[in-house]
Amino acid sequence: MSDVGPPASNPDALVQVRNLTKHFDTEDGLLDGVEFTNEFPYVSRSTETVRAVDGVSFDIVEGETLGLVGESGCGKSTLARTVLRLLEPTDGSVYFQGDDLASLSGEPLRRKRKDMQMIFQDPQSSLDPRMKVGPIVEEPMRAHGMLDEEGREARAKELLEKVGLDPQHYNRYPHAFSGGQRQRVNLARALSVNPDFIVCDEPVSALDVSIQAQVLNTMEALQREFDLTYLFIAHDLSVIRHISDRVAVMYLGNVVEVADKEELFEHPKHPYTKALLDAIPVPDPRSGGRTATLTGDVPSPIDPPSGCRFRTRCPKVIQPAAYDLREDAWQNVLRFKRAVERRAFEETAPDVLRRRYFADAVPSGAAGTVLEEAFDRLERGAWDDAERLLTERFTDESVCATATPAYEVEPTLGDGRHYAACHLRRDEATASAVDDVTVEEPARSDPTALDADD
Amino acid sequence: MSDPLLSVRDLKTQFFTEDGTVRAVDGISFDVHEGEIVGLVGESGAGKSVATASILRLVDSPGEIVGGEIVFDGETLFGLEEGPNDELRPREEMLSESEMREQIRGRRIAIIFQDPMESLNPVFTVGGQLREFIEINRDLDADAARAEAIDMLREVGIPAPTERYDEYPHQFSGGMRQRVLIAMALACEPDLIVADEPTTALDVTVEGEILELVTDLQSKYDTAFIWVTHDMSVVAEICDRVNVMYLGEIVEQAAVDDLFYDTSHPYTSALLDSMPRPDETVEALDPIRGVMPEAIDPPSGCRFHPRCPEARAVCREVHPEPRDLQDVESTHTAACVKHDVFDVGYDESAPIDAEATGGFSAGFTETGGDAE
Repeated sequence: MSDVGPPASNPDALVQVRNLTKHFDTEDGLLDGVEFTNEFPYVSRSTETVRAVDGVSFDIVEGETLGLVGESGCGKSTLARTVLRLLEPTDGSVYFQGDDLASLSGEPLRRKRKDMQMIFQDPQSSLDPRMKVGPIVEEPMRAHGMLDEEGREARAKELLEKVGLDPQHYNRYPHAFSGGQRQRVNLARALSVNPDFIVCDEPVSALDVSIQAQVLNTMEALQREFDLTYLFIAHDLSVIRHISDRVAVMYLGNVVEVADKEELFEHPKHPYTKALLDAIPVPDPRSGGRTATLTGDVPSPIDPPSGCRFRTRCPKVIQPAAYDLREDAWQNVLRFKRAVERRAFEETAPDVLRRRYFADAVPSGAAGTVLEEAFDRLERGAWDDAERLLTERFTDESVCATATPAYEVEPTLGDGRHYAACHLRRDEATASAVDDVTVEEPARSDPTALDADD
Repeated sequence: MSDPLLSVRDLKTQFFTEDGTVRAVDGISFDVHEGEIVGLVGESGAGKSVATASILRLVDSPGEIVGGEIVFDGETLFGLEEGPNDELRPREEMLSESEMREQIRGRRIAIIFQDPMESLNPVFTVGGQLREFIEINRDLDADAARAEAIDMLREVGIPAPTERYDEYPHQFSGGMRQRVLIAMALACEPDLIVADEPTTALDVTVEGEILELVTDLQSKYDTAFIWVTHDMSVVAEICDRVNVMYLGEIVEQAAVDDLFYDTSHPYTSALLDSMPRPDETVEALDPIRGVMPEAIDPPSGCRFHPRCPEARAVCREVHPEPRDLQDVESTHTAACVKHDVFDVGYDESAPIDAEATGGFSAGFTETGGDAE
């Protein structure tokens, strides 16, 4: 899988990310991770690894906007920085115009940076308050030795006008501008070296809606004019829907679904995407409101769940092959298990629990026996034991926990490709690259590896 | 309708700065009835937060409430009268600072802020802070307050509340911290909760959960809310009635359904049109021209006229006060002279080209896009 390079996949793609991985060690300093113990030698060092980005692959073709969406803490910004090689990748490659950025360094990498730029979320802190706007816009050109002094000034003024600012503002300081205007200065600066590819990390989320629309419109106009390719990161799905051509959904370091925009919004195939879409508020009081189907927080990327990483919050976990429960009974089991994990109830009498969680459908057979045992443990107050039992017997044996999903399905709309990392799609998949979970093997989602058999 | 729980009349709050007087809130009036959720919506700098701070009399120097009246359940939170020498002085029945502190804030009107990390003390445990609050405000002893605190944590959906009681704020996620603040706000079963952008910093999934929680708790405790937000979607989801603010004034006031389906002020329409939609693909966004001017020197006439697509010459001269557009039972007010009730010759007046050419050349000193 790791040798899938540019020739084997989409050779037209401007940016090809292959199995990109970025881990952070929690040990940063001399004494980090040092713990004192009771036994000789009384100190031990443990290091933990934060798997911020874990085996991500996707393509971005020239002139398109790929939207990248996910909750906070799922690794979007780390991915963006690793793609531009502002962070050293732990593993994997990023092919940009045919060169693997991960293997470049020094002067060749620096020259390459001219063609890829970034826009950050906070328009305030990404501009030097002591520099005037003109020199800010000129600085990248100076760094790359473009034009002479006069030429740069002329170009800076031209760009300021292009992004919707007055060229007369050349001599003003950033503090004199509003948030939206500052983001325009950022745009002008990114454009100054005439890049092909711009990574936009939440560029409009700090702006008011009316300003947001202005900046989005400008970004679209600039894309058409300069033939730009965007990787557009946002947590706001409305913005993503507006600006993207294709959308990648990220969860806890993995890309869980990639599809064309319309396809993804109208026919999501991954329960996480669906939950995200259900959670967006619609500006319409008659829409009936949203349904919050997700509970709990994103798990820690230090020790992510095995198999599908979303399974700890997924409402559609597949029941283990050992049981043959009706869907509603299985749902009750899941609900009960999560309630136990959250210690969500106080009364632990079996009758009360049965009435509260299994009123309409009681699991029978093997599952029923496990439940009885769990009730018994709860009644004795052994919460941890009960939780362990339920976890071992129900969720750990599910295919969601034992295999890492990677499926490609037939798109309903359009002719783009649709990748979904969910085992519910195993029957309709046209291609798959499922990894059975082995110990210490990092879970990977590798939509493009599927290309190998095309 | 019965008497409103909270009634704000012609409230004016100003900040006296070196550059001049900033009229952050300039004569707003609205009511909140028992058990209803009233939205206060607008862009950054519209004066939403100053308005809510004024209600609780939490405006600090150089800011000052300079006029108007705030009545809460029969108590005068703020009110002025003319003294013997023509100067304005607080009315006799106006609550003193200590009465505000002991009787109103926290007990009868609670507030939830945008950033939960700033409202919780990082060096005390979450449970301890909640317990202390309950102990002080409800005269319970420490043990009873502790039990009550754990109950409240469970009620707002904190998993394993007994264990998490002893954890510190940094060990909670953003959504969990916001739940703790909601627990704290509800702990004294106040009549009114002022929520100042409580979900703005949260992910949509978490926001959805919190709003659901608030709706549940609201129906259980019958608490009234003032919900401050810039997000029309949140308004659509939970508010009963909405006040739209622009540059220190309320420009439209309506029941939530009327606001979206019978929009009467050009600013409200423009706000709605400039939003990307999650449920359909919009090809071109229609942003509002320019940026909001500063409250230090607001435009003449209608304050929205430099950005308004429907502006006419008369808008530059006439300053519209909000008027009721319907004579049916529900009120729907708007401050726009294009409506017949104003009768100032809008139809005959010549359209003006908005002079704010894009706003980006005009707005030198604007800070309209800043976070509050």
